[in-house]
Amino acid sequence: MPEAEAIRLAQQGNATAFERLYRLHNRRVYSLCLRMVSNTAEAEDLTQEAFLQLFRKIATFRGESAFSTWLHRLAVNVVLMKLRKKSGTETSLDEMTEPDEESGGPRRDFGTADLRLSGSIDRVNLQRAVEQLPPGYKAVFVLHDVQGYEHNEIAGIMQCSIGNSKSQLHKARMRLRELLHEAVRDKAREDRKAASAESGSED
Amino acid sequence: MATITCKDFLDRLESWMEGDLHSDSQAHLRNCPHCRSLVEDLKAICGEASNWRADEIEVPPRIWTYLQSHLEQEGLIRESRPAETAKATWFGEWFAALPRPVLAGAYLTLLITGAFTLSRPINRHSNEDLWRADSRDSTMPLRAQLIAEQNSFGSFNNANPAVNASLNQNLAIVDNYIALCEKSVQEEPQNEVARDYLYQAYQQKADLLAQMTERGENNR
Amino acid sequence: MSPSHFVRKQFTWNASRKAAALVVPSLLICGMASATPPPRRQEQHFKVEAHPVVTIHNPNGTITVKAWTKAEVMVISTRASDYVEVDAEQMGNRVDVSTHAAADNVAPDDMRADYQINVPEDAELQIHDDSGEVNVANVLGDMNVETVAAGVDLEDSAGYVTIKTVGGSFQCTRCAGKLEIASISGNLRLTDIHSFHVHAQTSTGNILFSGEFLPNGIYRLKNYSGVIEVRFSPADSFDLSATSLKGKVINEAMLTPKSHQQHFYSRFGNSLFGTFNAGRAKVELTSFDGTINILKRD
Repeated sequence: MPEAEAIRLAQQGNATAFERLYRLHNRRVYSLCLRMVSNTAEAEDLTQEAFLQLFRKIATFRGESAFSTWLHRLAVNVVLMKLRKKSGTETSLDEMTEPDEESGGPRRDFGTADLRLSGSIDRVNLQRAVEQLPPGYKAVFVLHDVQGYEHNEIAGIMQCSIGNSKSQLHKARMRLRELLHEAVRDKAREDRKAASAESGSED
Repeated sequence: MATITCKDFLDRLESWMEGDLHSDSQAHLRNCPHCRSLVEDLKAICGEASNWRADEIEVPPRIWTYLQSHLEQEGLIRESRPAETAKATWFGEWFAALPRPVLAGAYLTLLITGAFTLSRPINRHSNEDLWRADSRDSTMPLRAQLIAEQNSFGSFNNANPAVNASLNQNLAIVDNYIALCEKSVQEEPQNEVARDYLYQAYQQKADLLAQMTERGENNR
Repeated sequence: MSPSHFVRKQFTWNASRKAAALVVPSLLICGMASATPPPRRQEQHFKVEAHPVVTIHNPNGTITVKAWTKAEVMVISTRASDYVEVDAEQMGNRVDVSTHAAADNVAPDDMRADYQINVPEDAELQIHDDSGEVNVANVLGDMNVETVAAGVDLEDSAGYVTIKTVGGSFQCTRCAGKLEIASISGNLRLTDIHSFHVHAQTSTGNILFSGEFLPNGIYRLKNYSGVIEVRFSPADSFDLSATSLKGKVINEAMLTPKSHQQHFYSRFGNSLFGTFNAGRAKVELTSFDGTINILKRD
């Protein structure tokens, strides 16, 4: 059943059509939720909530945007609301990022050229760093660099402009670099402590 | 060439990461280990993130079970009999499910594959015959293939004649442009500018076809 | 017959004529009114905070967006028929405006809606208009405009502007910020530009650029055929690369030739490379078989 037909029938309450729409989009939506919250139980809840909202509102879909964009917008809103509740504050999307840094550049990091990241970026480190990103940055980074959405799609999903999407992505990457550098420095510090503790105990 | 500072480079870094490779920035990177390190780090981050895309993610079946029961409880399901499905080929179904950028990418891949096939050394005499004919004929095999695929999921039908006319007219313009670029690339295979134009033309055609597909689907 | 009888008759005849004079046009007006229903005009107001996002999806019609000083988005829509509906709804700091058909098989002329929208100057805009016209003035936020056949006219913008048209032309006056424009057959006209980043590309349209070349700015103009015309002033400072594979390059700028870079493209077509004054900005002009004119501004 083509998607357009499934949408039309789902608007009439057809069970097979609902399932068809679910099967077409569940992987992408679940994968997006999982990347955003890094927790399978929460990702399941969020996926369920996103699809429920979709099916409740499907009668209002009029085809002005691609159906997938509409669905992913719903999913991202569900995730961001969840993250907002977790942080305990009501914030707008613009506020779910860090204060604007003038250059976005490595203010503190210029002296750390010797601490190259290239060998330190693995899945575990990067996942930990992504978890620490503010929700707005995390959403754009996951949508673009992980899920592979284009900026025009992200603009439709995140309700922002293409320019905003590009700018948020750049800031997210710069922030990730800072977080990864901090992790590398912390690890180096721990290694030094462990080494001096060992040499102290030998003495 | 003007030399730029690290601050200037950082101001342009966002554009750089989007592919805008200004020669001043390139020169600065050659001479500045700090900025070079920064760019390498950002590329490594993007590279690692894109690896996650290949992960096989299993969606737990219980999600659909939960949804199904809630849809029934809320009375959102009103017809339980199987729907009459439209007569569509497997290809048509697959095509209809794809979002526009993926469609554009698919068309682009087809066009580039066709271009490589056409760019292989072939009998020059028969090539000359092609170019003497209507230049649009040179893209007939590719165009025929794309039209066949378009027809498999339904013809383009937009309610607005101005939009129809514009899309069809511009498709013809791009087809002509592709034919002339292909000819240029065949004559001067080392000409990077001509190749760049050719690939850009493919991209435009893919995008146009994807737009036509989207509008045609929305107006069925 | 008495004179009074004659007067009464005259009075009656005059009264009849007056009545007829009132009734007949009224009948005509009613007739005309029932043949062409009046346009449907609707005005809505939405209170917003800083940087609202306003999206407009309109298949056919004119969209005019202007900035004002109120923290409010005003949407005035005029529908061509009862077969088209206009929706304008607000979700948080976002206002979505869309036109859709109220019935199947609506004729294109009936499917038209025109909009006049006032927004705060820092609003972000996303506009889709397949045919008609898009006019935006004094909006300083980012914007994304996509059309098929509709022309786009932008004045006094300052944000990150991305424009995509198939056949529609684009005109931009006194724009700052970043400009990225792509069209297939539309003409692109950029005048009094004060932008540090301009990428403009059209296949068969003409490109005219007349504006400042800001230090460290990047200006890439590209077409397949047609004319690319760039106007410079004596105070400008840019590094120039101009290539037309099959067409001409006509230059009035006194350039210092570049000798320190390999130019692969210079083997093919007509190319020109050089530095004007200190070469602070970068200007790249490329055409397949069109003409490139680099002319002094009057």
